[in-house]
Amino acid sequence: MTLTDQSFIEPKKQINDQQDINKWVTSEAYIRLTRFIELLNESVVNKKISDPCFVSELVQKVIDTLDTIMSWIDEIPPLPTSQRFGNKAFRDWVARLEQNAPIIHRDILPPQFHDAIIELVSYFTEGFGNATRIDYGSGHELNFVAWMCCVHLLGLFQEQDYTALVLRVFTKYLDLVRRLQSVYMLEPAGSRGVWGLDDHQFLSYYWGSAQLRDNKHLKPKSILSEELVNMYSSDYIYFGCIKYIREVKRGPFHEHSPLLYDISQVPNWTKVNSGLMKMYVADVLKKFPIVQHFVFGNLLPFKPMAEHQVEDQ
Amino acid sequence: MGQSDLDGQIEKLRRCELISENEVKELCRKAREVLIEESNVQRVDAPVTICGDIHGQFYDLKELFKVGGDCPDTNYLFLGDFVDRGFYSVETFLLLLALKVRYPDRITLIRGNHESRQITQVYGFYDECLRKYGSVNVWRHCCEIFDYMSLSAIIENKIFCVHGGLSPIIGSLDQIRTIDRKQEVPHDGAMCDLLWSDPDDIEGWGISPRGAGYLFGGDIVAQFLQNNNLDLIARAHQLVMEGYKLMFNNTIVTVWSAPNYCYRCGNVAAILELDDKLNKNYKIFEAAPQDVRGLPAKKPAPDYFL
Repeated sequence: MTLTDQSFIEPKKQINDQQDINKWVTSEAYIRLTRFIELLNESVVNKKISDPCFVSELVQKVIDTLDTIMSWIDEIPPLPTSQRFGNKAFRDWVARLEQNAPIIHRDILPPQFHDAIIELVSYFTEGFGNATRIDYGSGHELNFVAWMCCVHLLGLFQEQDYTALVLRVFTKYLDLVRRLQSVYMLEPAGSRGVWGLDDHQFLSYYWGSAQLRDNKHLKPKSILSEELVNMYSSDYIYFGCIKYIREVKRGPFHEHSPLLYDISQVPNWTKVNSGLMKMYVADVLKKFPIVQHFVFGNLLPFKPMAEHQVEDQ
Repeated sequence: MGQSDLDGQIEKLRRCELISENEVKELCRKAREVLIEESNVQRVDAPVTICGDIHGQFYDLKELFKVGGDCPDTNYLFLGDFVDRGFYSVETFLLLLALKVRYPDRITLIRGNHESRQITQVYGFYDECLRKYGSVNVWRHCCEIFDYMSLSAIIENKIFCVHGGLSPIIGSLDQIRTIDRKQEVPHDGAMCDLLWSDPDDIEGWGISPRGAGYLFGGDIVAQFLQNNNLDLIARAHQLVMEGYKLMFNNTIVTVWSAPNYCYRCGNVAAILELDDKLNKNYKIFEAAPQDVRGLPAKKPAPDYFL
C-alpha cells in the first residue's frame, strides 16, 4: 500500500476511555498495523537469523541508525547518585533522541518524504521507553513497530524488506532496548507480572515462533533446556528472549514466567504462533492502559476502516 | 460468622490456602460493615507500621510479618495495591481482609489504584480469581469491598498517608472527607488523583505519564503540609530500589513492600515503623528464600493456543 498526495499532521491521542477501544479496533490504523505485523510474521517463517537475507539501502541505514543511538549509551553513562529505581541518565539519552530524531529522518529518507517526518518522529521517539517514568513496556515496542509500519506505508519498505525488518532491524532493536533496560535500570512498564507473557516484549515471541514453525529439532518445550536455549539463541529470536529472561530473573522458570512455561507445553509452533497473535490482540492492543498513550495521524488514522476493507474482513 | 470460624480462615490463609467462595462472600459482607464506618481520611493511632505495595507477593508478605511482627501484636497500615501481578493476589487480599475483620482497630487498609475493576481486569487479579475459583464471583465480591476502602489515613494528626499522592483540587483534608468514595476509581478527579499521582522534581503540577493523576513538586508538598498542619506524607505506588525513598527534604516518603519485584528488579522492600512518639524506623527486607516459597500449580496454556 502506498500513499500519494498525502498530507501529514502531528499525531495525537484519541483513545480517552474504554469505549474508544471499540473505535480503535475498527480503525484504519488498527487494520494497517495488524496487517503489517502479520506480513512480517509470514516473512520469517522457517528462517534463521544467520540465513542470508536481502538488506536494502534504507534498511541498512535504519540498522546503522540503531547502532548510532546505541552508541550514545556509552556517551551517557548512568548517574552514580542514588535514585528511586531507574537511572535519570536515561532522560538525557531520550532527550538526545528527541533532539536528533528529525535530522536522523532527514538523513535516511529521500527528500520527497520529509513532510512525513512529523508523523514518524512521534512513533520513533516513543519506541524506546518513557523518560519521565524511566520505564519500558509493550507499548514502546508497539510504537517502534508502528514506526516501521509508517515507513512501509510510505512505500519505502516493500515486500522484499519484510524479512530484514524482523531479522536485522528488529533484532538490532532488541539488542538496543535490552541494553537500555539493563544500563539505565528501566522499570517494567505496566507489567502484568506472572499473568503476562513478558515484562517488556511481545512481538519478539510472535515473530520468533514463526521462525521455528516447521523446525524438526526444536519444539516448544525445547525452551526449557538451558543447553538448547544457549545453543540457538543467536539464530532464533524466541530462544534469545528466553535466554535474556533467564539472565535477569531469579527463581525457577515456571515460577517467574508461568505463561511462557505453559506455552512450552503446546504441541507445535504453529499453534504457538497463532495463539500469540490472539493473545497480542487481547492483552496488548485491546488494553486501555497501554493503548491510551498511542497517537494517530494520517498514516495511522483513527478514522473507521474503509468500507471495502470491512467487506474483506 | 463466629470468631473461631474467622480464626480458622485466617490460619488457612496464612498457609496460603484458599477459603471457599461462600466463605469469601461472608467475609466480604462482614468487611463491608467494618469499612463502611471508616472515614475517607481514616484516623490511625501510633504506634503503627506503614507498608507499601504488595501486588500478590504472598510469601514476601509473610516475610513482612516476620520482620514487622504479626498482626495484632503490631499495628499495621497498608497503603493499597494488594493485588495484581503476583501469583497470590487472592490469598494476600483475603488474609489482610480477614485480619481487618478480626482486628479492626489493629490493621488499616486503604485503597490503591489497583483496587479497581478496570485495572484488575488487565493486571491479573481477575484472571487469578477465575483460575482459582472457576467463576468471577470472588472477584466481584472483592471489587465491591474495594469500593468501601478508605482513600487515606492520618496518623496522630501529623502523618498523612495515601497510596499515590496529592490532587490539584484538594487543598485540605476536609475536602477529601467530602468525596463520595463508594464507587469504582474514576478516570480523573480528586479520588483518582489521590490514588495515581506521583511526586517529581518539578515545581507545581505536571502531567502524569501514567495517563491518570498528576506529578507534583516539593513546593506543593510543603504547602499541603503547612495548610494542614502536618509533618509528613507517606505514600507508595512507585518501585524503590532501596525499599523506601525520602524526597523534598524528608517531607514525603515512598514506601515499597514488594521485594524483587517481577522477579527481576532486585529491589529490597521496606516498612516504616512509627513508635508512639512518631519516631521513625525503616525496616528493610528481601524476598522470601526459595525454599519457603510455595510453587504455584502448573496449568495448561490459555485457550488461544488450542
